[in-house]
Amino acid sequence: MSIILKVDNLQKSYNDKKVVDGISFEVKKGEVFGILGPNGAGKTTTLEMIEALRPIDGGTATIAGIDVASNPYKIRSIIGVQPQTPAFQDKTKLSELIELFAAAYGEKVNVKKFLDEVNLGEKASSYVETLSGGQKQRFSIAAALVHNPKVFFMDEPTTGLDPQARRNLWDLVEDVRNRGISVILTTHYMDEAEVLCDRVAIMDNGKIIALDTPQKLIKDLLGRGFKKKQHVEQANLEDVFIDMTGKALKA
Amino acid sequence: MKRKLFTVYVFTKLNTRRFFRDRLALFFGILFPIIFLFVFGGISGSSGKDVSFNVAIINQSHSKFSEQFVKNTTESKVFKVHKDITTMQAAKDKMNKSQLDGTIILPTNFGEMKPGQKYPSGEAQVLYTQNNQTAGTTLVTVLQSEFKGMNAQYVQTATPFTVVGKQTNDKALTSFDYTFAGLLGFSILGLGIFGPMNVFPELKKQGILRRFHTTPLRVWQYFLSTMISQAIIGLISIAIMFLVAMKFFHLHVVGNYFEIALFLVFSIILILGIGLALGGWAKNERQAAPLGNIITFPMMFLSGTFFPRFLMPEWLQNISGYLPLSPVIDGARLMATEGKHLIDLGPQLGVMAIWVVVIYIIAFRVFRWE
Repeated sequence: MSIILKVDNLQKSYNDKKVVDGISFEVKKGEVFGILGPNGAGKTTTLEMIEALRPIDGGTATIAGIDVASNPYKIRSIIGVQPQTPAFQDKTKLSELIELFAAAYGEKVNVKKFLDEVNLGEKASSYVETLSGGQKQRFSIAAALVHNPKVFFMDEPTTGLDPQARRNLWDLVEDVRNRGISVILTTHYMDEAEVLCDRVAIMDNGKIIALDTPQKLIKDLLGRGFKKKQHVEQANLEDVFIDMTGKALKA
Repeated sequence: MKRKLFTVYVFTKLNTRRFFRDRLALFFGILFPIIFLFVFGGISGSSGKDVSFNVAIINQSHSKFSEQFVKNTTESKVFKVHKDITTMQAAKDKMNKSQLDGTIILPTNFGEMKPGQKYPSGEAQVLYTQNNQTAGTTLVTVLQSEFKGMNAQYVQTATPFTVVGKQTNDKALTSFDYTFAGLLGFSILGLGIFGPMNVFPELKKQGILRRFHTTPLRVWQYFLSTMISQAIIGLISIAIMFLVAMKFFHLHVVGNYFEIALFLVFSIILILGIGLALGGWAKNERQAAPLGNIITFPMMFLSGTFFPRFLMPEWLQNISGYLPLSPVIDGARLMATEGKHLIDLGPQLGVMAIWVVVIYIIAFRVFRWE
């Protein structure tokens, strides 16, 4: 698989404190790449530098061979960004929002066809404030992909969501991957990373302290002689909750 | 470039449409100025019904009689004589601003004895403007009856003192003209400053601007689309104000509508720049409001929105003339009711042009997406 994103010795400091301290990694085409770490590890800053939203202090980031620091506008036209809390201006119809986002990229789309593809065709004339939570998620991701980006960034996409909405979002991430778009997401939920990510980088204090597939990281840990208290559980409370309230989000 | 302008076109179209769906914005942008128009128009309409006449006397004669006449008139309760006005030019000026009902002119030979006559005689002139015909003709009648009494003292057969009325060619401004221009300014101020000042921080709070920031959208595209959209909304709002003023307050527009529209678009862009700078800079409403008030209040009171600038002391007039809104209000009045053309508005347009450059440099510098 070809490399779509290459980050080399990336650095960022605020008031002499190194928030991102010389990190390097590569992301392949069609891969879901997770950046894990506790709050304040530098995940969001890393993402924002790669998205050309924040100046890069040192090192380089290139997407599809384009240098981020010197071509911010070119970069923004080939990436999609899903914000932490998807918000859209009110009193604007879904069809108009799609038109608006496409226009922001200088493009024109067949709005009806586009909304049909994400199963929101019948909502075309509704305002976004009338959508249910699940529909809003779907719409937000669709809007961020309106220009067929090569890389899709999600910053803590499931923080603050209930379990159903989280699972729903996982399915949506799978869909994006299936379209051949690379996904880079940050999270502090390990179960999420394990389910979604092909490879993960674990960040702490601005540095990457581990980078591999989740399976390999677990295997290495076990290889070091780690033993978890064995405690076999057929189901947990979350499974009960999801079983009783339905797998999909109620529309 | 074509693609970049397409972006501007779509943003303009959708944001303009969004404005007309927003009832609150419609109320403050369109209905509010019209309510003000009725309130202030009503006040300025009723204030003109003074019982006494505001007059100036220009005494070109040096006769004893003329001096006596001036003294009598000054003491009279019917007349309020503005003694500070001594030249024709000053009198015409004040009449054109509706601060005077008329001017009484005593010609050089007024009150002198003509050769072969044993009594003084003369013809006084009363000057008034087209708008003040009623006051002017009443003034003539009042003087006539006064002269009648005087004449009787001298001779029965002849009428040595007579009066003639004369209308100037100037169309005076009614006080409503000032009120209207001021309210146009108020409306532009409201749309241009309070609009973005409230909307932008709200969009920032919800992360909507941040989301646009992740796209290749540029600040100038966003500004330009806001400008066009506001110009459209502003022109509609102002057109309604003109219609209401013409229908209910007898506003007589003598200027060229196309030129007026051009001037107003420029005015809207100028004032909007202040709103863009404020709203673009502020992180939240709490930051925007105090600074917004510091900037708008002086303009609201010193630029002639609620009371005309000519009522202020001269030194204040000189200073307040350089506020961004002053040339807007003066220019709108000069064009709409005095029939001036864009080409005559050099001083106003000059001040505005300097402000546009300054304001937009600031607006682009301080803008932040989140």
